[in-house]
Amino acid sequence: MYDIAKMGTDVDQNTTKISARNVQVYYGDTHAIKDVNVEIGARSVTAFIGPSGCGKSTFLRCINRMNDTIDVCRVDGDILIDGEDIYDKRVDPVQLRAKVGMVFQKPNPFPKSIYDNIAYGPRIHGLAKNKADLDEIVEKSLRRGAIWNEVKDRLHAPGTGLSGGQQQRLCIARAIATEPEVLLMDEPCSALDPIATAQVEELIDELRNQFSVVIVTHSMQQAARVSQKTAFFHLGNLVEYGDTSQIFTNPQDERTESYITGRIG
Amino acid sequence: MNDQHILSAFDRDLEGIQANVMKMGGLVEEAIGEAAMSMQNRDEELAAHVIKGDKAVDGLEDMINEQCANLIALRAPAAVDLRVVLSVMKIAGNLERIGDYAKNMAKRTSVLVHMERVEGAHSSLRRMAQEVQHMLTDVLDAFIQRDVERAKDVLERDHNVDQMYNALFREFLTFMMEDPRYITPCMHLHFMAKNTERMGDHVTAIAEQVIYLVTGSMPEEARPKATRLDA
Repeated sequence: MYDIAKMGTDVDQNTTKISARNVQVYYGDTHAIKDVNVEIGARSVTAFIGPSGCGKSTFLRCINRMNDTIDVCRVDGDILIDGEDIYDKRVDPVQLRAKVGMVFQKPNPFPKSIYDNIAYGPRIHGLAKNKADLDEIVEKSLRRGAIWNEVKDRLHAPGTGLSGGQQQRLCIARAIATEPEVLLMDEPCSALDPIATAQVEELIDELRNQFSVVIVTHSMQQAARVSQKTAFFHLGNLVEYGDTSQIFTNPQDERTESYITGRIG
Repeated sequence: MNDQHILSAFDRDLEGIQANVMKMGGLVEEAIGEAAMSMQNRDEELAAHVIKGDKAVDGLEDMINEQCANLIALRAPAAVDLRVVLSVMKIAGNLERIGDYAKNMAKRTSVLVHMERVEGAHSSLRRMAQEVQHMLTDVLDAFIQRDVERAKDVLERDHNVDQMYNALFREFLTFMMEDPRYITPCMHLHFMAKNTERMGDHVTAIAEQVIYLVTGSMPEEARPKATRLDA
C-alpha cells in the first residue's frame, strides 16, 4: 500500500545530474559555504531554502561558475555535472553557462526585441543554421516559456515593454533557448504577482520533464509546491536535504523544523 | 527547537485549538464516568444529564474543525504544526464518538431502570467503563505533554478492556440461558459493554495520533487484539 502511494511522485531518483563534494566558498576571509555535499537529480526540481545570508544563492551561483566574476570569491571542492568537474581548467565558463542556464530575481530582458532576446543565445552559440531554424527556436522557446500566445503578434516589440510576469517568462524562455541541461533559478517569482507566480510555477513543473531545475526561494510554500527535493541551508551549512514532502511534514533537524514552522531559530 | 512562533498569533491559534480539545476531552471523561454511575445506581436523572451534555461535546467538535480549517487556510502550518492540526482533527472525531457511546449508555440506562435488575453485571461493566475513563485521562495527558511513552502504555492497556468485554459477554450469555426474563436487560447491557469496548478502541486511536504528532510516524506494530468472536 505504502509503496503504491509513493509511486505517484515519479521523481527520477536514479540519475544524478549535479554532484557537489566538499564545496567551500570564501569571500575574502568570510567562509560563506562550509563543506557542502549534495547530489541533485536529473529531471527533477530541487529547492534551496534558508534565511537570508545562509549561502543558498552563493551555492547556486557555483553551479554555473557565476562566482568567477567576483574577485575575492574562492571556491574549493568539486562540482560535477554528469561526472565532469566544471571547475576544471579546460572548461570554458561560457560553454558551461550555455549548458547551465540561469534566471534571476528581477526580470532582466535585453533592451532588444522579444525575438532578439530569445535569438541572442542560439546565435552566439551557433545553434541555428539559417533564419528558418532560428524562427523555429524562438517559437519553441516562447511556447515552452508559456508566453508565446501573449507575444506572437508583437515579436519585434521591445522585451522591456512587457509586464513583469511576462518579462520573467521571457527570461525563462531565453534561458531555455540554448537547450541547457540544468536551469538555475534565483528567486524567480519574488517580483511577480500571484497569477504570474502560478504561471511560472506551472512552467517549472513542465520544465522538469527535460531539465534539472534548481530553484532558490524564500517562499517555503513555493518550495513545497514545485520541488521534489528540498535542501535547507543555515549559516553556510547544508543542514538537511531530503524529499520535499518529508522536509515539510517531518524534518529531522531541529533547525529545519524551526525555520519551516516560522519559529525563532 | 524554540517553542514560540515569530508570529505570536499563530501560537495563540494553536493553543486555542488545543485548549478546546482538552475541554472536549474533560467533558467526555466526565460523561463516561456519569453514564457508568447512572447505570449502576439506576439513576435516571443522572442519565438524562449525560444525554443532554452530549450537545456541548458535538458543539466543541464543530468548533475545533472550524478552527483547524482557519489555521490551515491562514497560517499554512508545516512540520510539527501541521501534525498538530491533523491529529487534533482526528482526536476531536474520536472524542465525539466516545461521547456518543456514553450518551447511548445513558439512554439504555433510562430503559434499564424499569426492568429486572441483573445482579453483578452492573459493577463489572462499571469497572470496564472506569478503565476506559482512566485510559482517556492518560491519553489526554500524553497529548498535552507530548509524551510518547504514556501513549504507548495506553495502547497496551486496550488489551485489558477487550478481555473485560469477553468476560462480560460470557456472563450475559449465562444469565440469558438461565432465565429468559433477563434477555432484554442483558441485550441492553451487552450493547453497553460492546460500546464501552469501542470507546477503548477510540482511546487507542487517540494514543496513535499522539505518537504520530510527536514522532511524525504512526506506531508500526499492530496493537494487541483480545476480542475473540468465539468467546
